[in-house]
Amino acid sequence: MSEEVIKVEKLAKNFGAFEAVRDVSFTVNKGDVFGFLGPNGAGKSTTIRCLLSLIRLNAGTIQMFGKSYATHRYEILSKIGSIIEKPDFYNYLSAQKNLEIFARISGATVSTKEIHEMLEFVGLGGRGKDKTKGFSHGMKQRLGIAQTLLHKPELIILDEPTTGLDPQGIIEIRNLILRLKNEQNKTILLSSHQLSEIELIANRMVIITKGKSLVEGNVQELLNAQELTVRLELSDVNKAIPLIQQHFANVEITRINEVEISLSIEKKQVSHLNKMLGENNILVYALEPKRKLEDFFMKIVQS
Amino acid sequence: MKKLLFLSLFFIQVTSFSQEANQLLERVVAKITSVKDYSVDASIKTDIPFIKILPVKAKIYFKQKDKFKIVSTGIVILPKQGFTDVNTFLSKTNSYMAVDGGSKMIGELKTSLITVIPTSENSEFVLAKLWIDPKNAVIISSQITTRSSGTVNVDYFYTSELAFGLPSELIFEIDIKKFKMPKSVAADINNDKPKDKSKKKNENKKGIITIKLSNYIINKGINDAIFEKK
Amino acid sequence: MLLKNIYNEFIKILAKPRSYIGIGALTLLICIILFAMKADGSSFISFVTSSFEQTLSFNGTILNGNLIAFIILQMLIVHIPLLVALVTGDLISGEAAMGTVRMLATKPISRTKIVISKFIAGAVYTFILTLWLIFLSLFVSKFIFGSGDLIVLNSEGLVILKEQDILWRYGLSFMVAFLSLLTVSSVSICFSAFAENSIGPIVSTMAVIILFTIIGSMEVSVFQNIKPFLFTTHMASWRSFFEDPVPYSKIFNSIIILVVHNVLLVSIAIIKFNKKDITS
Repeated sequence: MSEEVIKVEKLAKNFGAFEAVRDVSFTVNKGDVFGFLGPNGAGKSTTIRCLLSLIRLNAGTIQMFGKSYATHRYEILSKIGSIIEKPDFYNYLSAQKNLEIFARISGATVSTKEIHEMLEFVGLGGRGKDKTKGFSHGMKQRLGIAQTLLHKPELIILDEPTTGLDPQGIIEIRNLILRLKNEQNKTILLSSHQLSEIELIANRMVIITKGKSLVEGNVQELLNAQELTVRLELSDVNKAIPLIQQHFANVEITRINEVEISLSIEKKQVSHLNKMLGENNILVYALEPKRKLEDFFMKIVQS
Repeated sequence: MKKLLFLSLFFIQVTSFSQEANQLLERVVAKITSVKDYSVDASIKTDIPFIKILPVKAKIYFKQKDKFKIVSTGIVILPKQGFTDVNTFLSKTNSYMAVDGGSKMIGELKTSLITVIPTSENSEFVLAKLWIDPKNAVIISSQITTRSSGTVNVDYFYTSELAFGLPSELIFEIDIKKFKMPKSVAADINNDKPKDKSKKKNENKKGIITIKLSNYIINKGINDAIFEKK
Repeated sequence: MLLKNIYNEFIKILAKPRSYIGIGALTLLICIILFAMKADGSSFISFVTSSFEQTLSFNGTILNGNLIAFIILQMLIVHIPLLVALVTGDLISGEAAMGTVRMLATKPISRTKIVISKFIAGAVYTFILTLWLIFLSLFVSKFIFGSGDLIVLNSEGLVILKEQDILWRYGLSFMVAFLSLLTVSSVSICFSAFAENSIGPIVSTMAVIILFTIIGSMEVSVFQNIKPFLFTTHMASWRSFFEDPVPYSKIFNSIIILVVHNVLLVSIAIIKFNKKDITS
């Protein structure tokens, strides 16, 4: 059984009369890339701030590395690197000076050489002496990641790290996260609106809405348990549609073009579909299942 | 006739008294003017309400007719009407009239009181009362009233330089009724002492300045450059 | 970790332009005063001694470096606290405004240590400001005007202190003046813990100083009981070193009050910062 790095149980947080988080529970295991999903205002940032002891809980418990903040605050925070929303720096200081300041209180000894190497790693090599006041959003994001990784944390918490980045930047962040997971066995909690990114890199996830966690589990298992959206390229679409409707009740079929349709069916019925079409002399040129996290997400949230 | 005789005798007596006063004063002035210049070590002790200052050592230079300089490493407070002012005034024999005021015992010494009245209306001195030792022709005590400084009482003490009429100690008694603190500077906003609202606090209060003089160097010549303001 | 964060805080203070505003303003103010005194200091002296000059004459070098230093200290009583608050009022709230407070608070350092390190860094800045004040007011003044006895005018009259008897008084008075400015620093840091911007704590600090000073100067029976406990009442206690005799018990009492204020204000800041939800 994997070691639990984060364990949240029945977390609740109010800001006055406003219930930002009502009942959130989830577990992040060692080595996970954990997707933390929810619509705007669901309570994601509030939960993340609770995880980092930035705000106090009204109810529930948080265990980090099996320990509580009340008794092991220093030990816990020295193992965490985080970016919450947009990373902010001391704009009157250079990038290098900013990293030195945070490194000094990160609980680890970080040399100037390591800082330079980290700046290179995040694509800011040669910009160490520049004041962060002149940095673009993307550059600040990179510097934020540098600040997060400098003290070699075990757990990395990223709250929407790709916000404001261009497509190349998004890909770079994705690849970085994968490298951190695969090469350094880091545990990563990732909150993002980029569901396609989550689908590509996260192995486990939780979806919260209105301050309450709804679904938690392995991404693929959750998606596989649901209906698949299947795209079919057929020899005779006009003949196929009524046949499918006849054999599979309540199936919604979308005609994409003259030769393609898409429909949602249970995974276990895909083989039956293929067999039925073959028996009725309809050639299947392509059968492509699409596991859309986006669809799944919307379904969960709207339900 | 008798009245005429009486008046004549009275006039003669008054005149003779005035003559005696003038003669005594002339002897005093002669002594004063015999000193062309001197330098002396001074120790000045000030005991005045509202002023706290430790005794100060200084060097005093004087040269006829009215050159005066005090040199000290620190701040020295002297009576505005310095002790040389009286001498300077007395040396101008045409500027005043001397009137005999009788005698008075000061300690064991019988002194003659001479009242000096300036003849000019514009004189800084209003009135000077001098109690003089008739034998040595030196001033033992004085009460000087000036327009700007009010009334100052001075006691003179002599030792080694009696022959020159130079005192070894002077005690000034000064009227401090007019002393007032400039409020805007002295406003001690954090002063927690209750303010004394008594208007009588300045009344009947005197200040004393005691000057002890020693090591006179008399009539040896003093360069005028010493008296120049720096 | 505390020492490391004190070092961090000091780097931040040194890097902020506003830190040099205080030093620059102080330099400019003192230069103006020195120039004015050089040009017409005798008029100022006459103002002080005028009521005595009917009967007394003051001889000697009254206008000297020691007196100028005293005048500078007197004149800058209100100005220097503002220059201190300008920097220290920004220490916590400035981080909130900039967003860096959440980066700071997620590091393995307690919030108590964060506040303490900011207080210490602010204290060091205040000390540097005080040292600069000493250098300009005392040493530069003496260089320009020379040395001599010090004539001090307070509500009880004139005190004339011997030149040899002055340096130790200035030494101790500057220490008490530093404590007074440190109290101002603590007030602004305390306000800073409650605010999310820099202007609020700075303006609030000055407002408190002005208000307390007014209360302290009003001879109203209602205020007499609270006056001894206002820190502004004791901020000018450095002047007491120039009385004769020096009222040590009064000064000691002022020191205690100021120290208690510092401890209380920093404690409030620590409690507030610890309880605060960091949402910026």
